[in-house]
Parts: sequence; C-alpha cells; structure tokens
Amino acid sequence: MTAQMQQRRGGGYLERPAPSGLADVIEVILDKGLVIDAYVRVSLVGIELLTIDARIVIASVDTYLRFAEATNRLDLYEKGGKDLGELFGGMQEGGAAKKTSGAVKGVKKAITGGGDDDEQRSARKASPSRRRRSEDA
Amino acid sequence: MTSAREALGPQDLSAPGCYVYGVVPWAEGLLPSDLTGLSGAPVRLVREGELAVVVSDLPLDQPPGRAPDVVAHHEVLDAIAGVTSVVPVQFGSLLASEEDVREDLLLARGDDFAALLEELAGRAQMNLRASYLDDVVLAEVVREDPDVAELRRRTRDVPEDQSYGDRVRLGELVARALDAKRGPDADALMTVVEPLVAAWSERTSGPGSGDTVLDVALLVDLDRLTEVEDTLEGLAEAVHERMRLQLVGPLAPYDFVGGAAWA
Repeated sequence: MTAQMQQRRGGGYLERPAPSGLADVIEVILDKGLVIDAYVRVSLVGIELLTIDARIVIASVDTYLRFAEATNRLDLYEKGGKDLGELFGGMQEGGAAKKTSGAVKGVKKAITGGGDDDEQRSARKASPSRRRRSEDA
Repeated sequence: MTSAREALGPQDLSAPGCYVYGVVPWAEGLLPSDLTGLSGAPVRLVREGELAVVVSDLPLDQPPGRAPDVVAHHEVLDAIAGVTSVVPVQFGSLLASEEDVREDLLLARGDDFAALLEELAGRAQMNLRASYLDDVVLAEVVREDPDVAELRRRTRDVPEDQSYGDRVRLGELVARALDAKRGPDADALMTVVEPLVAAWSERTSGPGSGDTVLDVALLVDLDRLTEVEDTLEGLAEAVHERMRLQLVGPLAPYDFVGGAAWA
C-alpha cells in the first residue's frame, strides 16, 4: 500500500482524483461531447491538435523493450523478504482467482460466481481490443 | 435559417461570436452569477422556451484552442453539471451569433435536446479506470510463463546490446500475457459495476495500453451515487493487491450524448 493510494475517503482504496491540470482535463473531455455540425459552427478546434494521440499504444519493438526492461527490473528472487513465495503465499495454481488471497478471493468468487459463464461473457459488448486479441489468438 | 457562413463576412471577424458549452433545461437563476468562461468572459444563457444554451462571448478571430481554453470549458461544464442536467457540447464549438444559437441549435433541434436532457436528468458521469500494479502483475507473468522466466533469466545480467533479440522476444511475450489477463479481469470488474449504473461506455478505442485494465465512463443515477462509491470502494479493496482503481466525477455526461454530428 503506497501513500498515493490513500485518498480522501478516509484511507480507502478507491482513488478519487479531481481533474486539475491540462492533461487531466483533456483526458476527461478529449473529443467527447455533442458535436455541432460544421455547417452551423464557425470553428471547432479539434482537441487532437492539443495532444499527441498517446492513448494508442502500438505494439512495437520499443514497447516490447520497455516491457522487457520492467520485467527485468523486478525484484523477484534475489533479495530476501521480497520473493514470490512470500508475495503470493504459496498459491501455485494458475488462473486469476487462484492468485488472489483473502478478501480478494471472496469478492472474486462473488463477482464471478453469478452464472457469468463464457457464453454470457462473449455475448457482452466486446471492445475492439478484445476482438483483436481473439483474432490474434 | 441563417448559416454561420452567410452571417460571417470578412469584416465581421472581430465581432463577438457565441462560444457554446452545453444545453440545459431553462430555469430562473440557474447560473452562478460570477461564472466566467473562455478568456474570462461572463457565462450566460440563450433561452428558447424550456431550453437554454450556455454560452459566452468569444471574438470570432480568436478561435479557441489554447490550454486555458480547454480548462475553462471543462470548469464551466463542471459548474453547470453541479446544478442541473446538461448536454455538454464538444470543446471548441463557436457559433457566429446568438441568433445562430437560437435558430440552429434550439429551434432546429429542440425536441432532440429535450429528449436527451430527460434521459440525463438526475444522472452524472463518473469515469472509472483500473490499472495493474505493474510489479505485481509482471511477477505473475514471470511466474506463470516458463518462457518468460527463462528469457528473463537469460537477459537479466547481460549487456543490452548482447541480448537485443531475447529482450524483444521477452517483451513481446509479456505484452501478450498482459493482453490475455486484461479481458477476463475487465469482465470481472464490469460484473460488479454494470448493475450499479444506468449506462456505461468504453473510453479507450485502441487496444488496452500498458497497465490499463479498464477505462470506462459510467452514467450514474445521482441518488445511487453513495452506493456506487461504496461498492467501488469495496471492489478497490478486493483487488488492491493487483490493481488500483480511480474514480473521477461527478462530471458532465461527456460520453453519453452521442458521437454523431447534431444540429
């Protein structure tokens, strides 16, 4: 638990940042909102002029190298007191629910236990990225 | 109908145009009296019947686009959303005159605005983002994927220029492993979130980037706001070992007014 995760709701886990700086505000309003037709309006400055489109991460060698670097930076086995055995408490099995512990396990169970089978999941609105992933697979 | 282009001759460029923030149901004394917008101009309402457009003067030869303009746009909508329902208009919308606002927006599309405002009444947007705690989730990947673990072992203490190929391959495998985690994790979060909200919409259009698990706009009934916050707090606590959850808002419903051109 890091200090930045302690937000105004009495040390809660849910972060409640208020958009303040330009980047935050752009993040919120982005290109959103009702669009007035070009015939009617005098000007519409596309917000894309204000920000480079950093939201789309292209799978590139650079990206991969960053992941590799982050993975190699991990302090997994070498230093005492920080190894995976302690981090994960002997949870050997794969699968998201198995890696969680305590309360997480309970909620994970609760939130995935309501008949949320694969058919329902695939019927739910799929994001373009998820579709892309399934095509990749 | 007077179009902007007809009304706008070259000689008119220094005349004040009407910068548009959003459309609201008209009410007496709606606006905070000291509310200012782009370039510090006073914010006012252009009324037609039951509807009004929130505007401020902005010279036509000073098209919006500077950083303070973006912030001012957001702050005005923030202030409005705090007191009434609002259909936010995209940043940078400048009309030639109050007449155009009245005719081309309110008279031309009044019924549509009224219907939209009815849908948005008593609701606000909250943006929810879930991000992986990088170190924890990368450790999962190393643990779960023997190829990743092996490549990591091989590249770790080798100079970068001697392990370039292995590093690219390692990063590629890690990126794929994160992609594979993201979908099920996002679905699990949405299973909790979906019953709480009137509507939701994905904010990112591209592939989930880096550590982002979920980035959604939620349309929340204000009388359920506390319930939403409490439930999301519980959810954040439940997943805190792997993810952080950020909730921003209440905001004007930027993501729930349709992307298609109107008016």
